[in-house]
Amino acid sequence: MRKSFYVAAFALGVASLGSEAQAQDCTIKVGAALPTSVDWGRPIAEVAQFAVDQVNDAGGAAGCQIEMVLRDTQVDPKVGVDAAKALVDLEGVNVLLGAVSSGVSMPILNSVTVPGGVMQMSCCSSSTAFTKLAADGKTNGLWYRTFATTAVQSAMGAKVAADQGWKTVAVLYKNDDWGQDMARLIEADFAAAGVTVTGSVAINDAQPSYRAEVTDALGGQPEALYLALYPTEGTSAVREWLSLGGTQNMILANSLKSDEFRENVGLQYLGNAFGTDTASPRVESADAFRAAYQERFGSEPNGPGLANSYDAAMITLLAMEAAGKDASGADIAAAVAKVTDPNGIPVSADTAGFTAAKSVLAGGGTVMYQGATGNVRFDANGDVSAPAVVWSFTDEGTQEVEYVSLEDVDAFIESLK
Amino acid sequence: MIQHLVDGILVGSFLSLGAIGLTMVMHILRFANFSHAELLSIGAYSALVFDKVFQVLLPFSAAKIGPLSMTWALALSVVLAMAFTGASAMLMDRLVFKRVRARGDELSMVFASFGMALIVRNVIGLVFGLSSQLYSKDIVFAMVISRDPLLLVKPDQIFVFGAALLLMLGLHLLLSRTTFGFALRAVAENPVLAQVHGVNLQRMITAVWVIGGSLGAVAGVFYGLSYQITPVMGRDLVLPIFAATIVGGLGSVYGAVFGGFLVGIASNLALVILPSGYSPSVPFLMILAVLVLRPYGLFGEARP
Repeated sequence: MRKSFYVAAFALGVASLGSEAQAQDCTIKVGAALPTSVDWGRPIAEVAQFAVDQVNDAGGAAGCQIEMVLRDTQVDPKVGVDAAKALVDLEGVNVLLGAVSSGVSMPILNSVTVPGGVMQMSCCSSSTAFTKLAADGKTNGLWYRTFATTAVQSAMGAKVAADQGWKTVAVLYKNDDWGQDMARLIEADFAAAGVTVTGSVAINDAQPSYRAEVTDALGGQPEALYLALYPTEGTSAVREWLSLGGTQNMILANSLKSDEFRENVGLQYLGNAFGTDTASPRVESADAFRAAYQERFGSEPNGPGLANSYDAAMITLLAMEAAGKDASGADIAAAVAKVTDPNGIPVSADTAGFTAAKSVLAGGGTVMYQGATGNVRFDANGDVSAPAVVWSFTDEGTQEVEYVSLEDVDAFIESLK
Repeated sequence: MIQHLVDGILVGSFLSLGAIGLTMVMHILRFANFSHAELLSIGAYSALVFDKVFQVLLPFSAAKIGPLSMTWALALSVVLAMAFTGASAMLMDRLVFKRVRARGDELSMVFASFGMALIVRNVIGLVFGLSSQLYSKDIVFAMVISRDPLLLVKPDQIFVFGAALLLMLGLHLLLSRTTFGFALRAVAENPVLAQVHGVNLQRMITAVWVIGGSLGAVAGVFYGLSYQITPVMGRDLVLPIFAATIVGGLGSVYGAVFGGFLVGIASNLALVILPSGYSPSVPFLMILAVLVLRPYGLFGEARP
């Protein structure tokens, strides 16, 4: 009798050991489709892997170790879709991190993740086309991004015009998805802010001359010029603009925050040029991320989208934890709300924070993730907002003219509606 | 409207210079040279280098010429750039096109020229970097020619237009008044018959490359003076230059001049009718229209 008790106890012990070992042995794959072949794309992937490593140190998510399977998109929609297809069909992932460019994320969303019921979380796509798609109910709630839309940038453009008292503005925009998006938004925002748009002219890249386009924009005799261009054609267009006697009052999109543009146009003509950009929030959790990044990679996280990529990975993994084992992509997407709940228990963005989140979620609670980009909060369309800065050019580069906090950005956007 | 017309003529002046070289090469060597626009880049960048050298060696040459943004150093550099680009064009022919010509057909030549264009573009990018460069960072302000209708013209534009016309006149005299010009035209008409009459074919081919290259260099510098120099300027210019050549008619130097101005004016005027996003389609539309209405170009002749 006593012997059989021992046997039973031993058997129980072995069984429990077995299940313990099983929990450690299983791995869940997470897909990542990022442009690792371009120099600014690799750090975005590395920082996502950093988040995965931290989660694995906390014992993994949903009871398993996490393996991030990374594929290159080459910033090419076709390559990106192939990469995403391979991750979903061959690797069997339920969640996909990526892509960076809106032009790559969009076809992946339409032809891979939504049809496959896979959750997609982008670190860096800013096009408002996603907002529209989500509002039309075509993303099935599977789409999220940790990068603020161009709407923030365009609202700041309107704020600059309003603050400077410029009443009439001409718009020159790059004739691609991003530029057309910007032009459409800024026209609406200017109108809402009481600024008249005297003309909106598309600038095609790789044209020998922008003289005709600039002449067209000049025709309305605006008080200021709004530029949603890249440095190369921006330089050409602005030099043309100035030489024809156009105003030096300028509002610049963040794409023109470049030394090439500053040097080739000349600082003497850019004294009244104000740029806009989204900013990382001035909060403790963002500083903590900077410190952790510095320790891990030995440099400041200065590249584009690094904080956003980290948060994208971390929130995805938290949602996987919240959704539990064997959850579908839709389950995980639905669980994002549980880990970004403004009323939840705050957790930090590191191994300790993930461990804490695990116990809260296990007890049926919700958490508020405090990440590298602040307290991330998604709206109904999977979008986030962000603080903004207004900047100007200096001898060395750029300087901050004004910091607009998240609350002020949201309030200003609300005032435009 | 009048502003767009004037701007178009000024854009046309460097397109014409580029198209002259292209039409000569296409007529005499009988292939579509897609690397021709890269000669403009070579010219523009070599002038940039010579310009810097002159400014260091002869500091007084850094002074501007009158109201132009052009310096004396750059004016000297243009001459050297013409020589350098002509030599580069000759070298390209010796190293690549001559060999392909000996073994392959016209299509091989076209592909070789594509390859050549890529190589030149990337070597320039490798040496000078991918960002754009300027001869002078100062912005020269436009002169108000008339207030109503508003007409603004930059001094540089007038200079470029005048210099281009002068070069074209020089070429016209060369082709129509000299034995060399006759020989060149004879080769274009019928290379075999020309050789029978004692014209050295290889020398004529070299001459065509040198003329095409040096005119291309001037076009490249003028382009850089008006806008900016980038490694991909050849790519941006190849289509308008081809359009000018085809519109004017293959082999017709006067056609190329006319075609260049026509394409320049049409691209500028297009904005009056078309939304600005569609203006790059204008050169394509012109090629289509000419090919449908006059398949040999406005000044071209049918060739067996």
